[in-house]
Formats: sequence, C-alpha cells, structure tokens
Amino acid sequence: MHIVVVGLNHKSAPIELRERLAFNRDQLPEALNRLREELGLMEAAILSTCNRVEIYAGVSEVDGAVARVTHFLSERAAVDSPLLTPRLYSFIEPHSVQHLFSVASGLDSMVLGEGEILCQVKHAYEWARDHGATGKALNGLFQRALNTAKAVRTHTAIGRGATSIGTVSVELAEKIFGRLPKSVILLVGAGKIGELTLRRLIERGASDIRIVNRSAERAGHLAADYRARALAWSELPSQLLAADIAITSTSAPSWLLSREDVAAAMPQRHQRPLCLVDLGVPRNIEPSVGALENVYLFNIDDLQGLVEHAHRERQQAVQASQRIIDQKVGHFLTWWQEEVAGGVPCVPSCSGPAAAP
Amino acid sequence: MSPLVLLHIICALLSYAAFLAAFVSGILFLIQERQLKRKHMGVLFHRLPSLEHLDRVNFVSISAGFGLLSCGAILGFVGAGVLLGRWWTGDPKEILTVALWGAYCVLWLVRLRATLRGRRVAILSILGFTLVLFTFLGASWLLPSLHPYL
Repeated sequence: MHIVVVGLNHKSAPIELRERLAFNRDQLPEALNRLREELGLMEAAILSTCNRVEIYAGVSEVDGAVARVTHFLSERAAVDSPLLTPRLYSFIEPHSVQHLFSVASGLDSMVLGEGEILCQVKHAYEWARDHGATGKALNGLFQRALNTAKAVRTHTAIGRGATSIGTVSVELAEKIFGRLPKSVILLVGAGKIGELTLRRLIERGASDIRIVNRSAERAGHLAADYRARALAWSELPSQLLAADIAITSTSAPSWLLSREDVAAAMPQRHQRPLCLVDLGVPRNIEPSVGALENVYLFNIDDLQGLVEHAHRERQQAVQASQRIIDQKVGHFLTWWQEEVAGGVPCVPSCSGPAAAP
Repeated sequence: MSPLVLLHIICALLSYAAFLAAFVSGILFLIQERQLKRKHMGVLFHRLPSLEHLDRVNFVSISAGFGLLSCGAILGFVGAGVLLGRWWTGDPKEILTVALWGAYCVLWLVRLRATLRGRRVAILSILGFTLVLFTFLGASWLLPSLHPYL
C-alpha cells in the first residue's frame, strides 16, 4: 500500500482554478464515496482550503491511481487534463508524508506559519474519518501530521508574532489588557484599515464598540455592521475617558489628539491604561502622547515594523521546523513499514515524487 | 511557644511572601511595559502575561501582604504585652516593622485610590521589598534584637 497526494496550491495554480476545484463540506461525502468506489482508492481524505485542494489517498498501485485522481479533478474543474496536469503536483511516500506534515505545520502556507491550516487539516481528517473513508494508513498519517504540527508550533517560532496590521494590533492590545471582551473599543474615523483592525478585535471577543466619525451616516453604517454605537463627533473627548483601546484612522490634517488632550484625560481615567492605535497618514495623534505614563501609542510604522519582524522571525524558524518534521517523518515511516506496508522497506524507486509540481 | 507568638510568626512570614510576589510581578510588569513602549516583541513579550494581569497580581499581593503584616504586627504587640508585660519593647525589628507597615500602607492606599498606577506602583513595590529584606534579614543580623530568628 502507498500513500499518495494529488493536488494544487497557491503556488502552483491561480485562484480561478483553485476555486473551481474547491470542495465545500456538503460535497465531501459524495466526493469521498466516488474516490473510493469509482476510483478504487482504498482510503481517501480531501483537504480543501482557499489556498489548496489536495486529495490524500491510500492506494495499492500508484500509477493508475494518480491518473484517475487527476482525471477526477479535471472533470470536477471542467478543465481538460492536459491543461490541469501542469498545475497539479503528486507525491508518494515519503514525500507525500513530508508534504502533509509541512502543510499542517504552516510551512507551505501563503502566510508562513499561519495557524488556521492546522484546524483545516484536522477537519479534513475528521470529516473523512467520520465518513468511513480513512483506514489505518490515513488515520496514522493525519494523527501524526497533527502531532507534528503541534510540536513544530510549540518548539519553534514559526507561528509567533502577528503578520498583519490588524492581528498585530490585537496582540498588542491583549498584552496590555489581557482578554478583550471587557475592553471598550473606540474607533475614530471610518477608514478601511481601521475597520479591518476593528474586525480583528471583534474576532477576539471585543463587544463594546463605539464609533465616532465626522460623517454620521458612514458611522451609522459601520455601527450597524458591527453592532456598535455610532456617536457624534463632539463626543470624542468624553469617549476618550471611557475607552480602553482607541483606533484612529482619519485623514485629518492636524492632530486629532494632542499631548494636552490625553494628559488631561489620564487623571480622569484614574490612570487606567490606554492603548492608542494611530492608523492615520498623516498621523492623527501627537507622537509625544506615547511618552505619557500608562499610555501605549502605536502608529502605522510601528505596526508595520512588528509585522516585518514577525515575518523575519518565522523565516528564521523554517530550518528548525524542517528538522522536527524530518524526524517525525522518519518515525512515521518506521511505523508505516512495520504496521501497514507489511515490513517491505521503502525502496529508492518509490521514494521520488510521482510527478513534479 | 505560645500560640500567639506562632501565629505572629506565620502572619509575618506570609506577609513577606506576599511582598515577594508583589516584587516579582512588579519586575515582570516593568519588563513587559518596556517592551510595549519600545515596540519590541521579543521572546519575553510572548511569554509574559498582560500588563493588566501583572498589575492585578501586584495589587492583590500588596493588599494581602499589608493585611497579613497588620495582623502579624498586632499579634506581636499583644504577645509582647501578655508575655513581657509591655507592648512596645523598642526592639529594632519593631521599629522597622512599623516603618514597613507605614510604607506599604501608603503604597496600598495610593494604588487603591488609583493616584498612581502601573509603572510607578511596580517600582514602589520593588523598592518596598528592599525594606522587607532589611526588616527580615538585616535587622536580625546587623542589630541586636529580640527577634534573633529570621
């Protein structure tokens, strides 16, 4: 028995093709049935995310199976096989094992080290297992892939740091206030990037949201979208007393908040910490505000710098991650040869990629 | 040993432990605060808890320590009154403890009323602990005392 993977990802295929191949959850049972009954795969699992569509299979013969899966995918995407094939990659063990372990660990993701893929791999496995499509080989493979990904994330910096302006703002806010559900969020201005940051804060549980904008209409729309309170522009000073986290993203030509404004507010706030995220260009908050006690000010360059720092740290963690993955692949292959492949060692001829990506 | 004296010692030691917790959380607060102010997300940044959490641990420790120290001191005075016939013996440790109690009383009130918060309270709780160390160790070693034990 062999473990093969056939699929495409954001590096091998454009979005137009990936979206034609993507499986939603409702389509999985039928697709898994077809893979096993019509295509004769012994075991099957489908990993379908916005960046990849991959079919993992336990098969007795590699050659015919890869061709059949390729045909199945081309039929699904309504693309001729010769057009689709250059976009597809297929691997056989140990490379298929290595591939899944890397994917689950976030090494193959568009944003290096992102953590969502771990859940997606877990769901892909659980759906296939619950549908009875997996057996000893894929159960062992996916369980070990998930363990490997957890080990990689624990022992390396691959998932450390935030990789967007929104998530880095959330991370900073959480390091000041801990959990966010109790925090009062004030959004000043209705810029796109401010809205994105607000969305990230809401995802982390923030629920008391107040929006102040010069155009009341736009504030009203945003407030409706995020179950927030839209307030008049004149309420900005009083809201500064209530807010824990204030995000400014306006195109105002002068300071929206001066050092005097914030310095005057702090005693009235009983020195409660204040996190200010200034996303405006030109800046909305006087930079010296950041020197005030219990005030934490971050401007767009600070956030961008932290994002780049996280990217660099993740890049540096690739080698260490790879070492863990190699070791875990080794363990898996030992188990595989003893338990599933019937003690037949994996000869070099079956260890190369079945086809180049 | 009289139960009164035993309780007095337990309260005093527990108050020192609480002040140690305030000292440690104060140091961690300063480290984390510095990383946030400098916009640096190092390994420590990810490992350390939030400022709010450290501030809360600091305040709870100061409150608990202050309460325990008050109990310990009262029990000490009562014990001295019962055993020695006078509540104030003029022992160096008594004097230092009163100073320590006064210092933590001020710190506790300042934090409770939120006159000061965050960094300054963290610094004061670190400084306060040096006084604890002096009361705990220094008074026993450097000065003749009725409290020859630690």
